[in-house]
Amino acid sequence: MAASTPSSSPRLSRRALLRGGVAGAGLMTLAACRSATDLNTKAAADTIGTPRRGGTLTVAAGVDFTPSLLFAQSANTLVQRLVFNTLTRYDDQLKPQPELASSWQLAPDGKAVTFKLREDVKYHTGRPFTADDVIFAVKNLQNPARSAQLRSTAAAITGFKKNGDHELTLELAHPVSNLFDLFEFMIIADPATVEDAVAGKQLIGTGPFRFTKRSPGASLSFSRNEQYWNPGRPYLDGVEVRIIPQADSLLSSLRTGQSHLSYDVQGKDVATLKDNAQFRITPYDTGAGGYYIGVNVTAAQVGDKRVRQAIAWAVDRERLVQQALGGYGLASSAPWPKSSPAYSEAGATHYSHNPDKARELLKQAGVTSLSLPFAHSATPGATAVAQILQYDLRQVGIETVLQPTDSPTMQKQLISQTMPALWTLSHGFAQLHPATLAVSAYPFNEAKNSSHFSSPAYTQIVQQAWQRADSDSAEAKALYQRITDTLLDEEFVIDLAIAGEVEVATAKVRGATLNKFNYLNLDDAYLAG
Amino acid sequence: MRAFLRRRLPSGLLVLVLASFLVFLILRLIPGDPASSLAGPDAGPAAVEAVRARLGLDQPLPAQYLHWLGGLLTGDLGPSYAIGGQVADLIGEGLGNTVELTIGALVLVVGIGLPLGVAGAVTKRRPVAALVRAVTTAVLAVPPFVTGILLVLVFAVTLGLLPAGGHESILDEPDIGLQYLLLPAVCLALPSAAILARYLKDSLEQALGEDYVRTATALGISRRRIVWRHALPNALPAALTVLGLQIGQLLGGAVLVEAIFAWPGLGQLAEQGVTRRDYPVVQDLLLLLVAAYVAVQLLTDLVHTWLDPRVRWE
Repeated sequence: MAASTPSSSPRLSRRALLRGGVAGAGLMTLAACRSATDLNTKAAADTIGTPRRGGTLTVAAGVDFTPSLLFAQSANTLVQRLVFNTLTRYDDQLKPQPELASSWQLAPDGKAVTFKLREDVKYHTGRPFTADDVIFAVKNLQNPARSAQLRSTAAAITGFKKNGDHELTLELAHPVSNLFDLFEFMIIADPATVEDAVAGKQLIGTGPFRFTKRSPGASLSFSRNEQYWNPGRPYLDGVEVRIIPQADSLLSSLRTGQSHLSYDVQGKDVATLKDNAQFRITPYDTGAGGYYIGVNVTAAQVGDKRVRQAIAWAVDRERLVQQALGGYGLASSAPWPKSSPAYSEAGATHYSHNPDKARELLKQAGVTSLSLPFAHSATPGATAVAQILQYDLRQVGIETVLQPTDSPTMQKQLISQTMPALWTLSHGFAQLHPATLAVSAYPFNEAKNSSHFSSPAYTQIVQQAWQRADSDSAEAKALYQRITDTLLDEEFVIDLAIAGEVEVATAKVRGATLNKFNYLNLDDAYLAG
Repeated sequence: MRAFLRRRLPSGLLVLVLASFLVFLILRLIPGDPASSLAGPDAGPAAVEAVRARLGLDQPLPAQYLHWLGGLLTGDLGPSYAIGGQVADLIGEGLGNTVELTIGALVLVVGIGLPLGVAGAVTKRRPVAALVRAVTTAVLAVPPFVTGILLVLVFAVTLGLLPAGGHESILDEPDIGLQYLLLPAVCLALPSAAILARYLKDSLEQALGEDYVRTATALGISRRRIVWRHALPNALPAALTVLGLQIGQLLGGAVLVEAIFAWPGLGQLAEQGVTRRDYPVVQDLLLLLVAAYVAVQLLTDLVHTWLDPRVRWE
């Protein structure tokens, strides 16, 4: 009766383990049938460098798409250019190129623009695209409910003249120097389904991909538009946007090849991938994001511009770029990226790290001790930025009390002008024609901004720069210089660094690009072998 | 039973009404508002006001509350502010995914906890018992977010066997869905499995020390038969009670695991709702939870009353 002795018990345990092992092996066998990790990587395999049809591109996004912000600039703008087209699109030199508009003519006085439209364009429903759709698109952006940041530019269009189905003239109340920023921004949606679009029910456009499915918080799926007007495009069969809010999980998704492409890898994490041959990292020098310290000029002591200038001298921008942004950014005291007509080396380096100068200015202002509330977004990245700034300011005798604030609260305070003395955030719109920043980016808005700053001189220069037909003549550039000079003197917005988007792609992804508003353009994208 | 329901239903309803009032009010007390959030980072005050009017947030609070309550009573949860789509669909989908994850984890809790507990109790080999003890202690000591990251690092990044995160429906594509489910379910299951293993080990050891086991051994009944046929059935009820308690634990723990593995369940939905001040989503979700608790409480009392005549007669 050997089996009845206690010594038999380990055999039982082994059996249990064996059963577990068999069950595990069963699972692995199941996995061997079709692997979830291989589905994405086997999509296309061919010679490198030759555009190749087929495959589904998987994009990892840190933020979910917000349908009601379809017509506004938001944190997730990957969807717009997949489903929709714009009239024109900028090249690297901010020169408009044809898209749905085949050509255009600006009136000599700058108060009208006539577009000729492509005649071979169809919406995903099969309906042909006409001039009426452009008129609707402009009126749609004039609607305050759409929250479109370029509404002031859209509102300058006061007359619509149709010269046939595929030609129209837009009449302007006054010349507008950033008119083509609007056409880069304005997606041409199908008027009949636009309410469904902002409700998240369907997206109907003329773009390269048809919207097929959305699982809120999880993913968005798109399939190739077989009737796309751009011949032979897109190369891809489909696109899947996966929503992965957690930074580590997003990184793992790329490392495992589960996602092919992302623009939401944080600077520090990008640095860990840059020596990995599996990835191709492409920084965009569009400078779509500017890190800054905002100053509420009505708060005690920071109303004196010498104190604001002292803060501008006190911060070490280079260290900020290296430590908080992983080196992916340009330290700059002016908001303009290098691609902007307003960029100047002198502006970018006007303030450098000079604690002595900061202390001197504080002394001149009669400030002996200073303690300021300092709001920042309660995210790990923004907290790191705030802590670096707090350290720098302490070195010159400015104490700050950090106020971690969640995004909706910050947003409300910003818009309702109830910000504390200091805050740090990032702004957009410096990547466009310079007038756009001062008329559409809220921190810089000459009429009303979160800093409570207003000056007739600033308003006058901004309006002059905006209400003119040309945007890069010597006269226009002189106006931009005056805007820069005012910003650098008044320092109600203390610019720190300019960061463009950083594209992290697995080596096989080719041809993906972003427009100036970070709309993802995959017309020419393909998956190489 | 009717009398019981007549007595208890009004208090249940009162709890629900009070909860709805509190949920509504607390959300409004959190700083930040959906309109600013929706208007985007560069929106001006006019744009924010337009969004506010569109959402009906320009109405007085009592009117907003009644509007919401009216919707609930007619079965219309309405549209989400920020996430998009109907709140009922969002909650339905999230609930399905969370339940899928919880059931997956529960299967693993039993699958891991049961053999581990039995092995720990029946083995006379010291190393095996020590290993079981060490494994259960380690699993309990390490928080799920660390376990999650380790699992991803080993099975997704290094070995490339399983996806690092995401979700495919197990009903639509069972083979792919199972692979997506495995890592988050393991991560969620491990602490509960360790607890189950420990309880089972203790109660099984106790059962194995009983007289009837000695008698059975003396009668020459095989050790295996004694363990599986006699001792385990006696040890299981205590372990089952623990397992029942763990189900609630699993549902709660799913929130964190969902974040690590980008699993679109109720936890993710609640997090998104709060972050974006999507009032309808958060209000309905919280009220749903309260309703579930009220229903469970009522049901428990009902069963208790049915089982115990003393309670029934009171």
